[in-house]
Amino acid sequence: MTKIPGRAQRSGGLFRRDLLKLSGVALGAGAAAPILGRSRPARAATEITFASAKFFGKETIAQLVDAYNASQDKVHVTYRELPPPSASTEVHQALVQQLARRNGAPDVFTQDIIWIAEFAAAGWSLPLDEHIDASEIGAYFPGLVAGCKWQGKLVALPWFVDSGMLYYRRDLLEAAGAKVPETWPELVETAKTITGAGQAKLGFLWQGKQAEVLVCDLVSFTGSNGGAILDADGKTVRIADPAAVEAVQFMHDTIATHKISPPDLLSWDEEPSRRPFTAGQAVFLRNWSYVYGISQDAGESSVVGKVGVAPLPHFPGKSSAASLGGYQYGVNASSKNQEAALDFVRWMSSPETQLRFALQLGLAPTRQAVFDHPDLAKAQPFMAQLKPVFLGATPRPVTPKYPQVSLVLQSEVSKALASGDVKGALEAAKSRIETIVGV
Amino acid sequence: MTPLSALRGRLLGLPVWVWRGVLLHAGALFIVAWSAGPFLWQLSTSLQEDKALVADTPSYLPIPATLEHFVNIFTVKQFQLYLLNSVIVAGATTLFCLVLGALAAFALARLNIRGRFGILGLILSISMFPQIAIVAPLYLLATAMDLLDTYTVLVVVYVALGLPLVIWVLFGYFHSIPREIDDAARMDGAGPLTILFRVTLPMSLPGVVTTGLLGFIAAWNEFMFALAFTSDIGTQTVPVGIANFTNLYYVPWGDIAAASVVVTVPLVLLVLTFQRHIIAGLTQGAVKE
Amino acid sequence: MAMTGSIAHRIAGPGRRFRLGSAQAPALLLLLPAVGALAAVSVYPVGLGLWLSFRDTSLAAPDDAFLGLRNYHDLIADPTFWNAWAHTVEFTVASTVAETVLGLGMALILYEWFIGRGLVRAAMLIPWAIPTVVTSKMFGWLFDGQNGIVNHLLRVTGLIDQNVNWYGSTDTALLTIIIADVWKTTPFMALLLLAGLQTIPRSLSEAALVDGAGPWATFWRVRLPLLMPTLLIAALFRALDAFRIFDLVYVLTGGGPADSTETLSTLTYKTLFSTLQFGYGSAMAALMFATEVLIAGVFGAVLIRKLRETER
Repeated sequence: MTKIPGRAQRSGGLFRRDLLKLSGVALGAGAAAPILGRSRPARAATEITFASAKFFGKETIAQLVDAYNASQDKVHVTYRELPPPSASTEVHQALVQQLARRNGAPDVFTQDIIWIAEFAAAGWSLPLDEHIDASEIGAYFPGLVAGCKWQGKLVALPWFVDSGMLYYRRDLLEAAGAKVPETWPELVETAKTITGAGQAKLGFLWQGKQAEVLVCDLVSFTGSNGGAILDADGKTVRIADPAAVEAVQFMHDTIATHKISPPDLLSWDEEPSRRPFTAGQAVFLRNWSYVYGISQDAGESSVVGKVGVAPLPHFPGKSSAASLGGYQYGVNASSKNQEAALDFVRWMSSPETQLRFALQLGLAPTRQAVFDHPDLAKAQPFMAQLKPVFLGATPRPVTPKYPQVSLVLQSEVSKALASGDVKGALEAAKSRIETIVGV
Repeated sequence: MTPLSALRGRLLGLPVWVWRGVLLHAGALFIVAWSAGPFLWQLSTSLQEDKALVADTPSYLPIPATLEHFVNIFTVKQFQLYLLNSVIVAGATTLFCLVLGALAAFALARLNIRGRFGILGLILSISMFPQIAIVAPLYLLATAMDLLDTYTVLVVVYVALGLPLVIWVLFGYFHSIPREIDDAARMDGAGPLTILFRVTLPMSLPGVVTTGLLGFIAAWNEFMFALAFTSDIGTQTVPVGIANFTNLYYVPWGDIAAASVVVTVPLVLLVLTFQRHIIAGLTQGAVKE
Repeated sequence: MAMTGSIAHRIAGPGRRFRLGSAQAPALLLLLPAVGALAAVSVYPVGLGLWLSFRDTSLAAPDDAFLGLRNYHDLIADPTFWNAWAHTVEFTVASTVAETVLGLGMALILYEWFIGRGLVRAAMLIPWAIPTVVTSKMFGWLFDGQNGIVNHLLRVTGLIDQNVNWYGSTDTALLTIIIADVWKTTPFMALLLLAGLQTIPRSLSEAALVDGAGPWATFWRVRLPLLMPTLLIAALFRALDAFRIFDLVYVLTGGGPADSTETLSTLTYKTLFSTLQFGYGSAMAALMFATEVLIAGVFGAVLIRKLRETER
């Protein structure tokens, strides 16, 4: 607190008054923060709002938004932070509440890739085909661009990408003379050998909790058998086809028959499955890209320097399929400042900003060229080598009713895994999904 | 204390009072082990590196110890801001709940309002509607009134959530006080408010302190509304702050354990102080007959 | 004060009907702030919820037709709803009974004097004080099938041979959630019951003891009946809260495995927040409310009778 010149510093009254002033300012600032934003707007700048789930790393999204505001004076962005992506249902709810009012706020937002179809079908996302030309689109990963389209129209601009991958213990594989498995039978074989020899407690860890991550794992397994859950037309349900049944049967067998996976993973999502692996108790792990950084942190991991990464295995004769994830940008269809919003989105999705996101927040870029940038190879060598993994990633079913479809899948696949009645559960899933997508 | 001579008889060769002592102390030990056990494990976790958590045999003692988690939550995560917000919100909530609740409970218990059980039932029904169903409409209201990211909206909602319990519990305590005491005070010319503040409240102080404590902790721990209504560190409370420790998937368990220790220890000290100075003084025969 | 006279008129005896008139006004005035605060927060959401339950409103689609009772009809025919309902009732009964019994035991112990009682009272409150977001994850950790401490301790003491798959097995998942809730919420009951015990005059139980009653009889015949109103109120609120359990279940199991821990709150949450079917979800919330009214009705009937008995 600053001293007021010419006044004796009396402890009681002055302190109390300053404290009241301070708390009043704090309360007022707290109430006005959404309106005032984080920096003073320049005169005549177009005001737009940006809502995003909270991500952080060495920098925060707020700092990047400030950088944009400082770099030009035509557009001023006010950033409204939503809950972190770990509370994704709340982010979804908060976003939907705002978008459903169709009053133009927020002008720009970020959306999980699985919500893109839902928001587009509801008419909340602005189609971007007229504003972004084809040459610009070509710079992004094709699989991601496909995920950003709804009914042939581009409704989202790519931000960052993530996908599942296979982590393995290089040292254990070398000691057993095994190569990195490319098919599931090979993985089972190697896991059994190594755990049988007592070199590791657990063979293969994945996520079986009745939550969204189960659908991600499901896609990885069914896709790697050439199967699918929902066809590209969004209406034909393929979850009960032989390819999918075989894949889910395999998921069940890893626990029940091959016993390379513990039954506990039926309640595990990302973190509970990651912990035994970085503690050195498991040979293989299917998880997102974030695990690598942790596995190389000496305060967190017992397997520093012993971890390798590869694309997920596939069934013999088929190809690897990893679940595609990541948040993408959307522009509000009711936005009253479309030009300003587009300018902001283009800046956020530019190569320089994507590189900054990669270096400072650990979010993998969606532009193929950024992966080849020397700075990335230097600061995030692991991320740079993930390009082939991301190229082969498979999206989850694309349908505006995705949340309902996902809940059905979570319920039925969990039943299949717990009870062993794979065919019955998947048939039930098929009929429930058919009701939802309106067959 | 119960006169020992009043407890007669023997059981299995030992006097009853010995059994009573054994059971009492065993029970107390169980309470401490059961309640504080997991917390002590949290304390140990907060002082260890994260990787020590998944060892084959869990290490109960924090050896080697590290203070990095405590340092981290205050320097990097700015946990002190969340703490301040929580103290303000929970404190204001408790204050309003107790004042409004005591007035209402007194009116219902003592002033013979017609249909008081109906009114009590109506008050109860407020707390029967699932909170998840009222979050969305209240969010819309708060947005319309521009009250998002303020202490006001949280306090108003928490007071409404906590009042039914406060009113009912205080009603129960007030009800159990003999009316003769009220009558005696009225004979001396006291009005209803005087009776409330000079007679009823002091006599049900254990109940008032308890309800206040429970209400404080309930407001302290509330998560769903805080997450929905606040998005700025200037107003976010501790549960939201702890949830914000998680980025995308990674759960910084050591940091979370440190945060929960920081949050729990002051509350426990608070309870220790209150319990000792207020309750203890009362129960030694203060109930006047 | 002018009204002292009219109040003095009315204290002639218990059960005497009161008159309308000026005496009611100040009483209602005391009631107004609290009721006003409650109404301000609840009227709009509850009203909106009820209104929505008769429509098929979905935030993501432009649907908003009036459906009459169709939502309720579909809900009653929906097996997932009854599955969640059954789990919720099971959870409510188990946790309320366990917490009441355990809480009563704790309250009785803490009521007596012994060295270190203050510390034990403070220790007892710890589970209630830890934020629920932490408790959920902590219990997930403690009961982890592979590396959890509970399994470790149970094996070390020889009570089990193999690790129990607490959260991953349909047999034990709900039980584990009940244990977590009992740990977290028993202090709530214990504290309310302790305060209730403290408002019972000691002279009554001492008199009974001197008259030759053993400690059990003193408890059962003297203290428990006087404690009954407090116990019933605390148990009522506990049961209503248990019926709406959400955080613990959602974080620990998400309703699984195989829907074995799905509760009404998690189901309603998924319906409202994930699928955005506000009509259907509001109907679910309304049926939850209806069940709670039943529970409260049962408790309330017993409670009102007890209160009228002990009215003095």
